[in-house]
Order: sequence, then C-alpha cells, then structure tokens
Amino acid sequence: MTMQVLFKNRHPERIATLEEYCKSGGYEALEKALKKYSGSEIRSIALDALLLGRGGAGFPAGKKWMTVADNAPFPRFIVCNADEMEPGTFKDRVLIHADPHQIIEGMIIAGYSVFAERGIIFIRSSYENAARILEREVSNARQAGFLGKNILGSSFSMEITIHRSAGRYICGENTAQINAIQGKRANPIQPPPYATEKGLWNLPTVTHNVETLACVPHIIRNGHDWFKSLSRTSTGAGTKLYCVSGRVKNPGCFELPMGTRLSEIIEDHAGGLPPGYQYKTCLPGGASTRFLPKDLYDIEMDFESLKRAGHRLGTGSVIVFDQKTCLVGATLNMIDFFARESCGWCTPCREGIPFIRDILFRIENGEGKEEHISWLQRMSKFISNSYCALAPGAAAPVESLLTYFEDEVREHISQRKCPFIQKDMLS
Amino acid sequence: MIEEDFRHFLENRISASDHPREQIVDTIFSLQDRYGYLSDELLAEVSMLFEMSHLEIEEIATFYEFIYRKPVGKYVIHVCDGVVCWMNEYGSVLDHIRRKLNIDYGQTSHDGRFTLLPTCCIGYCDRSPAMMINRRVYGRLSPEKIDDILKNLD
Amino acid sequence: MPTLIIDDRKIEVTNGTMVIDAAEKAGIMIPRFCYHPALGSAGACRMCAVKFLDGPVQGLHMSCMVEAKNSMVVSTTDHEAVEFRRHVIELLMLNHPHDCPVCDEGGHCLLQDQTASSGHVMRRYSWKKRTFRDQYLGEFIQHEMNRCIHCYRCRRFYQEYSGYNDFGAMGIANRTYFGRFSDGSLQSPFSGNLIDLCPTGVLTDKKARFKARRWDLERAPSICIMCSLGCNTVVSSRYREIIRIEARHNRDVNGYFICDRGRFGFSFANNPERPRNVRIGTTSSTFDDALKYASSKLLDISKKYGSKAIVCMTSTNASVETHDSLKAISRNMNWQNPGFFMDRFQQSKITAAVERLKKDIAISLKDVENADFILATGADPVNEAPMLALAMRQANRRGAKIVILDPRPVVLPFKFEHLSQTPHNIDSSLHGLIKNITENNEFEATGERIKKSLHPAIICGTEITGLSTVNLTADIAVLLKAAGKKAGLFYLMQGANSFGAALAAKGSMPFTEILERIDKGEIKALILIESSFPYDFSDQELVKNALKKLELLVVFDYMPGYILEMANIVVPTLTHFETGSSFINQEGRLQKTCPSYQAGTPLSQVSCGKHPPREFRKDIPGSGAKAAWEIIHELEKAMTRTNSQNI
Ligand SMILES: Cc1cc2nc3c(=O)[nH]c(=O)nc-3n(C[C@H](O)[C@H](O)[C@H](O)COP(=O)(O)O)c2cc1C
Ligand code: SF4
Ligand code: FES
Repeated sequence: MTMQVLFKNRHPERIATLEEYCKSGGYEALEKALKKYSGSEIRSIALDALLLGRGGAGFPAGKKWMTVADNAPFPRFIVCNADEMEPGTFKDRVLIHADPHQIIEGMIIAGYSVFAERGIIFIRSSYENAARILEREVSNARQAGFLGKNILGSSFSMEITIHRSAGRYICGENTAQINAIQGKRANPIQPPPYATEKGLWNLPTVTHNVETLACVPHIIRNGHDWFKSLSRTSTGAGTKLYCVSGRVKNPGCFELPMGTRLSEIIEDHAGGLPPGYQYKTCLPGGASTRFLPKDLYDIEMDFESLKRAGHRLGTGSVIVFDQKTCLVGATLNMIDFFARESCGWCTPCREGIPFIRDILFRIENGEGKEEHISWLQRMSKFISNSYCALAPGAAAPVESLLTYFEDEVREHISQRKCPFIQKDMLS
Repeated sequence: MIEEDFRHFLENRISASDHPREQIVDTIFSLQDRYGYLSDELLAEVSMLFEMSHLEIEEIATFYEFIYRKPVGKYVIHVCDGVVCWMNEYGSVLDHIRRKLNIDYGQTSHDGRFTLLPTCCIGYCDRSPAMMINRRVYGRLSPEKIDDILKNLD
Repeated sequence: MPTLIIDDRKIEVTNGTMVIDAAEKAGIMIPRFCYHPALGSAGACRMCAVKFLDGPVQGLHMSCMVEAKNSMVVSTTDHEAVEFRRHVIELLMLNHPHDCPVCDEGGHCLLQDQTASSGHVMRRYSWKKRTFRDQYLGEFIQHEMNRCIHCYRCRRFYQEYSGYNDFGAMGIANRTYFGRFSDGSLQSPFSGNLIDLCPTGVLTDKKARFKARRWDLERAPSICIMCSLGCNTVVSSRYREIIRIEARHNRDVNGYFICDRGRFGFSFANNPERPRNVRIGTTSSTFDDALKYASSKLLDISKKYGSKAIVCMTSTNASVETHDSLKAISRNMNWQNPGFFMDRFQQSKITAAVERLKKDIAISLKDVENADFILATGADPVNEAPMLALAMRQANRRGAKIVILDPRPVVLPFKFEHLSQTPHNIDSSLHGLIKNITENNEFEATGERIKKSLHPAIICGTEITGLSTVNLTADIAVLLKAAGKKAGLFYLMQGANSFGAALAAKGSMPFTEILERIDKGEIKALILIESSFPYDFSDQELVKNALKKLELLVVFDYMPGYILEMANIVVPTLTHFETGSSFINQEGRLQKTCPSYQAGTPLSQVSCGKHPPREFRKDIPGSGAKAAWEIIHELEKAMTRTNSQNI
C-alpha cells in the first residue's frame, strides 16, 4: 500500500466523521494557517508545493490565488468545483464520501489566503448523496467553530453553502459555472476579465476542483517539501487520485503518488484486464483526452510527462479499452455526449461536433466513405479553435482515433460494417 | 397552485439569500420534488417569486438537463449512456427497462409511474452500468437487480 | 496609443480598440457575424479569425476578442485564417435552408456575402437538416428560425442593450432557439432593431415582406420626424411606396439604432387617402390656376381688411425650408407673422429652452450615454423620445445613477429613482438642488450624487413642465459647469423641428391665438401648412366654427382630414421622404434628408392588383404634390405678379 494522504480515513461504506478527521490531524492546518501565516504566505506555500489544479487543466493553485489583487473588492468567493461530469471521472465523489472535511478545511484555508469569506460548493445533481453529506458536515464544521464568524478566534470569517447543479457538462467549466451559480444560462465567459478579478456578481472568484482543495490542508500541515516528496516524478507533486474504469478487473479510484506509471495503475491497482482481454488503448484523463498509443503504456502519469508526449493528464481518469472494443463506437458515444452537452455558444462546437457525430455514425454503421476520414481530420483540427475548452476536448478522442487507429476506421469503411462482433446481450 | 405554506417556505429561502437568483435552481428542484415537473403554471410562479419574466425562467429551464418542462412519471429513470457504461452494455439495461415498462426514451408508462430518459456519465463508472432514479444512483445493474430496484420503489 | 500592422498597413488606434475595429479603421473589413460595435464582442461565430504573426499574441485568434497592442503583426489573408473562416461558413451552412430566392434578407445578408466570398459552393453535409418552428412575434417582425446562425446578436441587443426580457435564447447546443416564451408581440419599443441586427433572415421586416428584392429598392438617407431627436434613417422605396425604414449610423445622435415608431411609422406617406390633387373648392385644378386663384383672393382680402387679416400657420414638424419661406412671404406681404406653435405657453417654453441651450452646455444623445449621473425633469423618455431611454440605459449600464422628477408613472428599461412630484413641487426641488450645489451645507441624496459626478446630464421635458423649470434646469447645468464638471443640458421638445420653429417664431402668434382672432373676425384668411394643430385642439367644434368664419382657407398638406374638405384651396405637399428638407433637432443640430423617391400614387394603389400593373400614360399618377416651401415660394411669385397686373 502506498502512502495514503487524501484517503487516509477512507473506509469501505463509511464516511469519516469530524472526530476521526480531527484525530488524524484535521483542522490543525487551519489553525496553523490562521495563527501562523498571512494570506500571502499561504499563497507562496501553495506555489512552492507545486500544487497543480486537479480539475483537468493543471494550473498552479498558488499562482491562481496570486492573481487576486490585494486591493480587489469584497466579498470574494471561493468555489469548490464538484461538478465532475467528465466521463470516466468519479474521484471527487469518492473523496467526498471518504473524508469530506479535508475539502471543507481546504476551502477555508484557500479562502483565507485570498480573503474570500464566502464559499460555494457547486455539485452535480447526480451526487445528491454527496451533497447531503457536505451539507451535514459543513454544519458540523460550523458548530465546531471552523466556519462562521471569527474562525478559531481569528479575524477571518467564512460561510460555505452547497449549490446543486441542474445538470450540464459545461457547468464544470469554471466561468460557465459562475453563470450557473448566478441563475443564468451556463455559457462560458472568455477572459479578460479573469474570474479572479470579476467572477460571481462581478467580484473576485477562485474556483478549484475538489481534489485540489483537499490537498491544501495537508500541504499547510506538512510543508511544501513534504508534498513534493510524495510524487514519483520531479515535475509533479503530491499524490493523485486515479480513477480506473472500462475493461479492468477492479475498477475504482486509487490514491497513488503523482507520476505513477500507467501500467502499474492498471495492472497493480485495477487488477489488469479480465481474462481473455488484451489492452488496446486508454483515455488517460477522461473523455476529453487523447487515446494513448500502446507504446505509452508505461508512461508516468503526471501533467508534465503526458504533455511532453503530446497528451493531457486531464482528470487522471483512465478508461481502459480492450482489443474487442470498437473505438469508432466508443468515440461516437463520446462525441454524442459532447454534441448533446455543447452550450451552443460558438460555431465550431455547436455545429462541428454534431457534424462529426453524423460522420462517425455513418462509418460505424457501414455507410462510411473514404473521404470521411479527411473530413474528420479537418474537422477535429478546426473545432479546437472554439470559445471554451469543451470543443478541443471533444476533438481529442476523434483526432487521436485517426492518428493512432486509422486502420480500424478504414476497416469499418472497407467492410461496410463494424468489424467488431456484437457482443451478447446482458441477460 | 402552490400551497401557501410551501410558497412561504420558498419565499423565505429566497429572501435569506444574498443573491436571490442563486436560488432559482433549488426553487425549481423543490417544486419538481413536490409536483413532478415544471409546468407552465409553476414556471409562472417561479417568475413571480424571482420577479423575472417567463422567458427568463424558460431560458434557464430549457438549458439544464434535470429541469423537466414536460410531465414526467413519479419516478424518472435516467440510464447512463456514458462511454464506460457503453462498454459495459448499457444498451441491454435499456432494453430490459424498455421491455419491462413498455416505454421508450422520453415516454412515461401508462400508470404514470415511470419516465425513461438518457443521461450522460453520472460518475459511477466503477459500478457500471448505472442508472439514476429521482437523483438516487444504482450501479452494477443486471436484469434481476433492475427488477428488484423497480419492485422496491414504493 | 498602440500601433500595429494589419495586412502590411500600419495603423494607430486608441487604447482598448479591438483588432477587428483597428482593421476597419485601416480599411480592411474582417468578416463577422456576432461582433457589432454597439453590442461588443461575443466570440461566438468564430468568423473573424485572423492570424497573429508576431507580437504579444500569436497564432489564430478571433480579431473581435483581442485588443490591439503595440508591435502586433496581423494577417487577415493568411492561409490558415482563410481556411478556418471557410470552415466556419461550411458549418454555418450545414443546416441553413437554401431559400435565398424568397428570403427578404437576400442582397444584404451577411451569411450570403460570406458564403460567396469564402468560396463555399458545395455542401458536403447530405443528411437531415435541423428545423425549428417559428413564432408569431407581432405585426412588425417575421420569424424564420431555420435561418439562424446563432450569433446571439438579437438576444444581446434585446436583453442587455435595450433592457427588455420577453425575447431570448432557449434550449441548448444546436437546438438553441431564439424567440419568446410563447407567441405574441414583442414588448420592446426598440424591437425593430432586431431586423437590422440579424445578419441573416431570421428576423425580417414583416411589413416589407415579399414586396421587393433589396437591389430593386430606391434608398436614400433620411431623418425621422416622429420626435425631436432627429434619428438618422435610410428610407427604402419601390414604385412610389415606402417599403421599409432602417437605422442609419450617426455617432452623435442615434448611434446604430432607432425606435419602432421611427421604423414603422411611415404609413402616412403611403396612405391611400393622401391628398394627391390640387383642388379649388371641390373641383380639381392645376397648380398654376390654384395659385393664381389664391393670390387674387388674398389680394382682395388684403384690400378689404388690411394685410394683417391674413396669417400663415404651420407647425413644429415642418421643415426649416418651410418655416423660412413662410417668414419671407409673411414679411414681404406684410401679413401677420406666421404661427408655429400650438399655444403661447409652449412657444415661450421652447423659446426659452432654445435661448438657454448654449453651445458649451448642449449635449448630444451620445453624451447622455457617457454621463455618470442623469437628472430627468418632467420627461417620460420612452413615450416622448424613445431613443433617449436607450441612451440613458447605456449610461446606466456603465454605472450612472438616474433620477426622474416627474408626476407621471414613468416606466424605463433600467433601474432609476423616481421622485414623483407635481410640476409645482418639481420647481421647489430644483431650487433645493441649486441651494445644495451652491451652499456647502448638508446634502440630500440627489445633490450629493450630482456633486460626486463628473459628467452630469440634466434632462428637461417641455411638455408638462413650467417655464420656470426650463430655466431652473439650465441654471443647474450652468452651475455644474462652473463647478468644473463636464455638465450637459438636454431638452426634449414636441416636434421634429421645434428648435427651428422657436428660432423663427419671434413675434408670432400660436395657433390658439390665431383661432381667437379668427373667431373675433380679425383674421379673414388662413393659410394652413402641414399643421396638425387644428386636429389636436381639444374643442373641435370651436375649430370648425372658427374656420367657417374665414373668407379664405388655403391648405398645403400631405395629410388628409376634414379641414381639407372645408378648404377653398388645397395644394398637396410632399413628405420629407419625397423632398430634401432640413430639421433642427432639440439639441440644435441641423440635419438634412434626401429625396428618396419620385412622389406619386404608389403603383400598388394604382394597379389594384391588376396585370399589367399600369395603364400607359405619360405622367406619374398622383404626382401633383410639391414641397411646401416651393408652393409658398410660387405663391409669393404669383402674388407679386397679380399685384403688379392690378396696378
Ligand atoms: C468543458 C469543461 C468541463 C469541466 N468540468 C470540470 C469539472 O467537472 N470539475 C472540475 O473540477 N473542473 C472542470 N473543468 C475545469 C475547470 O474549468 C477549472 O479549470 C477547474 O475547476 C479549476 O480547478 P483546479 O485549478 O483545481 O483544477 C472543466 C473544464 C471544461 C472546459
Ligand atoms: S466550445 Fe463553444 S459552444 Fe462549446 S461549450 Fe464552449 S463556448 Fe459553448
Ligand atoms: S465576430 Fe468575432 S467571433 Fe463573431
């Protein structure tokens, strides 16, 4: 078993209580932060710890906090992004169900670092259980004096509320989320101005993924060097929650050192592929990342390594595909998802993704033509120049399908059908 | 149409908020939990509660997935069609429900109990195939398990 | 001031200019759908992509989303950019119907233009197209959702720019729908701008529907005369009939927009009842005969009762040329000074306003948009001068506080403070305010806000206010100016040319007094030129009885009405659409219209739907009308001629 930080208090089928969390050192970081550090010191610690955003983009958290100007207006907001709608991703859910207080503590500390006194946890509506857990634990934290006025006798006050999403993938994009919270249509807002300058109600707003925030207390308690030492690679820091799903024996969410090799994640932790199945490829970080070619099976799973290989770590949610699974079908499924979830604001996404879907649909159903391949190539290149990052994400599986699995696509076209035999019905 | 007590409850919750508009979705969810779906009448109520036009509420209501603007059954079954569930044959889950309840996507069973809708990845890929009924999630579905779940709903 | 290079042209622009505008300044029009100078950037259509070759930003970006910065090198013709734009067109055309032959947007459709210019000639998409159901949006605007390219211009204008909330975007992804909650008329008094803004044919002019192809229209710049603001328009006509009116950009007056009254209120010009023939009594006559007859009659009256028994009456809506010609004839013939106003009260208020409106404090609508505090006294902008409401909203969106002092239930499309006070109390409030500004004692809220502002705008209506109010508001503006602020004064007046009338009206009687004199028998001949005052007067019986006492009633007008039936001589006049004429708006700005078509009975009225649509004749049916000032000029000539013959 590797070092468990975020999952230290994880029990099967049970949520860690506030006492349990406190016993394991919980809320010590908050006390330390409030008593020992100034907001700007916390910002530098986060920067030194190389805490990279776990929501997909891998942006340094400390750097984000530093963009909140000292003289920016009040109140300021800290938003915890628990929308988690990236297909294949469920780490935030597992984390909330395991040990919710580290998220709350992380929010308070992050809030303190930028003097944000209002926290909002934006959570998708299929996580109703998690939402209730958070509501309960926020109120427990308040009763224990960790939230509310003058936290732990300091001059810092904070309130946290839970905001349920009415459901759309785009609500996970942090600027669209700002619109969603304000009771508007969740179209993204391209900077400038950045949300850290003008976000919710035109006030400074810092948004973080659940996992990012959960790391914060541990960093403050144990120091940035400790956090960096948790990683396997020098370019990464901390641990990472890797979700593994798809064709593996034990799908699940595993806390491993950042930079753990993909092969190790799949084989040692997710139990490898079931008997009779061979690994073909995987999506390393959810549906909006590129299919990995086989030769990257051993790649170190951190932001930098994947970037260097021309890929993205995304949410670190590995979806494993075996040799019997049709990748055209899989891509069609994902493209269908993106087409449905596009917010409809910009042309490439709104019109381009459905066009790709239509072409893939023809190919998968044996009506593909030779020219469709070049159409798809052109299309997946062009739709990346869109208003927000949704469309480039949607383009990733399509483009990588053509790059690494063109033969499979061509087989569909030449055989005038999907070459993968339909599997038996579940019965 | 809304009972007075309930309206007071909603009004109080809205006015307790620094920014009333933050409460729109929660208000609609509360109404749906009680009355099923956001009918034109309820939409008019929401527009009154927030002093917004019907159109402004409709703009929001039609954007999001879990705001229902058409009548739905007592139980809304959302079958996950995410890529992992696709790999794990969500199609057969769907077929089983279709056959069992005799409804297709977007339809409501004759007894008004069930509505069947798709939904994208609900974040239970480790327990795929999965579905969601009235915001409760069920994973590792098999035909027997589905029968059980549906039987135990009331 | 950043300097950048676009397509090898060096251009210097002001800070904050977007690259798309910088290019336009350099004479390079980058294709666009969603961007509009008044609505700002949206980054939605992706049509304005250009390549940034060097400088702080590099690669392919939307020129509407990038601010021009020093040392930028931009190419609009770069292969990658051209390819990308071609691709955007292909995507927008995927679902677009091929109904250009019956689309009213054809000929001025941005999508049509860009499709042609991008060279997109083959649709690769061969599957089912997306379709929508259209809505009934009222009698002015036609909805045709299938043509939508989702640029969001309509919603951005309707909700954000103009502040109405019954039209917007519904649904999501490629099913996004622009319309109303349900069928019904659009509530915004600015809804017609959607027609101009929509880059394709989703929102078109319903009244103009299927009447003409764009390229067949006769088009000419014009001015709206529905209120005193003088918004600039383009008039399009065909076969002697106005088909539609659009907004014409004028930076200082109306910007890019006009109100619905100005856009759709032209039916009087096409009115089948419109007087088209010269008449003496009830028999039609020729222009020369009518004038000859009129001049001899006028000379008789002059001889019998003295020349002062004759008066000309026009209105605040007639053109500067008409006003001027009336002044001239009246002076030369030694008649009474011509009348311009309804009553003495109006005349004195507008005259005072014109006097007080000095060059250094007079502001334009554009200045109102930039004000940071607005006090409007006795004004109901949406009803009296709609575009003022739109300008005030822009000020409000930029943070200006707005206070309305008015006893009426004023409704405006933005948040404002309404101090509901009787006209009398308005004055004492203003006095209080003046005291507030001059003395440094404790302030009331409004005074405090004015003090803090840098660009206060003082607006004053002249309809329900008193003469003192007109002066007090000017005093306030002067005081604020003296206090070092960029303060401005903005009056509202009732006619399109009230300002001009006030300049001409020295020593003249208003309509009510002329009526009295007629009633008393002191005035025997009335020449009524394009004036609705007799119809607007509350006691219509009194008007009729008075007019009956006249020995001579001459009417020059383009509007029908019972007074024409009573007249001894009728000469039809041309509307400002048909003759070039000038108007001075409430801010003192002289603006000119161009004749947009040859006047006459519209072909549609002559032909009664028959084919061929006309009988062959040499003259133009119903073309007997002339510009009022020309008629007056001719009358003066005829009078001099008759006079000399008599001697
Ligand atoms: C289409 C789209 C969906 C996203 N969904 C999520 C999400 O569900 N959860 C999340 O944490 N971040 C999501 N993100 C990333 C957020 O925009 C944002 O980068 C992140 O919440 C910042 O937090 P971090 O710095 O802690 O990663 C999404 C981004 C895009 C473009
Ligand atoms: S890429 Fe464009 S249409 Fe797609 S979600 Fe982002 S802004 Fe909306
Ligand atoms: S004009 Fe720039 S994106 Fe539409």
